[in-house]
Amino acid sequence: MNDRIYRPALVVVVVVLGFLVAVSFNTTSRLVTARPQRVSDLVSVVRDMESQRAELQDRYSELREKMDTLERNAAEDSGVRSSFTQELERVRQSAGLSAVVGPGVKIVLADAHEVDPDNDPNDYLIHDSDLTAVVNALFAGGAEAIDVNGERLVSTTPIRCAGTTILVNSARLGSPYTISAIGDSGALESFALSDPVASLVFGPYKTQYGLEASISRVDELRVAAYRGSMRPRFASATPGGES
Amino acid sequence: MLVLALALALGVTLGLLTSITVPVALLTYLGVAVLAAIDSCLGGMRAALEQTFDDKAFVFGFFTNTLMAAFIVFIGDRIGVRELYLAAVVAFGMRVFDNLGQVRRGLFQRWGWER
Repeated sequence: MNDRIYRPALVVVVVVLGFLVAVSFNTTSRLVTARPQRVSDLVSVVRDMESQRAELQDRYSELREKMDTLERNAAEDSGVRSSFTQELERVRQSAGLSAVVGPGVKIVLADAHEVDPDNDPNDYLIHDSDLTAVVNALFAGGAEAIDVNGERLVSTTPIRCAGTTILVNSARLGSPYTISAIGDSGALESFALSDPVASLVFGPYKTQYGLEASISRVDELRVAAYRGSMRPRFASATPGGES
Repeated sequence: MLVLALALALGVTLGLLTSITVPVALLTYLGVAVLAAIDSCLGGMRAALEQTFDDKAFVFGFFTNTLMAAFIVFIGDRIGVRELYLAAVVAFGMRVFDNLGQVRRGLFQRWGWER
């Protein structure tokens, strides 16, 4: 009589069983942390994070303002506004970290109110490409500061499509889009209207599909400050060099 | 008994150390395969206790069970009845408990806890 209940084959299969269990454990544990079960969960996660981000952004700009005043005070305390502070302010302004005012143009783009069901509904919407083209034309026309619905365009700003909205910086914007650009208003207007892509939005698209697209010169315009963070992780300045 | 427990621990440790994962889409297959493997192991223990253990039948049974389980899931995916895997889960689940009862009885007899 063979008294052992373990046979070599049984032992091998039990090892395989343990392996399988461990593999499925690995997979599910990664899954649970990475993916909430339902789309609705995901949506609420996104909402939560967005409101968190909004709070943090507010706090960030608050702190930045505080820092500005402290710096200014410190400079005034020491009697002179050092050239350092002035330089800092100048750099900050050109980087888009402070709100600026000046003359320029205001452009309003909006989706069409009525959609002809026979046509492609996409033709009746303002797309990220339209926005990019207009913004690009404005920069080409010498715009010094641009914001879209209060989102300042800085050197790292992406403009991309995110479902039914357009993502600028990390804010989701919906129609209508108000673009404020500071610069020589005449040059800005003519560049916006003559750019091969942007002119389509103001011309044929507007008349054909009923998109809203208007451009107006404004004497005194305010362009918002960039509210996101600007902390490069990969880029570092070249040692000692300006250029 | 101890040897089997050690073997299980060895398998789990190997799996955790290598930290292999499978694509999410294949998770159902893996789950059903695990269930089939549990069933096979319990069946094997039961056969060993009843002195009817046969290496060939056991190994062959293990692979056919596992592959058939995976096949049922696959068919379910293909014909649009995702829930077909439940059939395999229920069948194997029942067998697992059935075998477990037999193994328990067999072990109790061996250890002289019963009668």
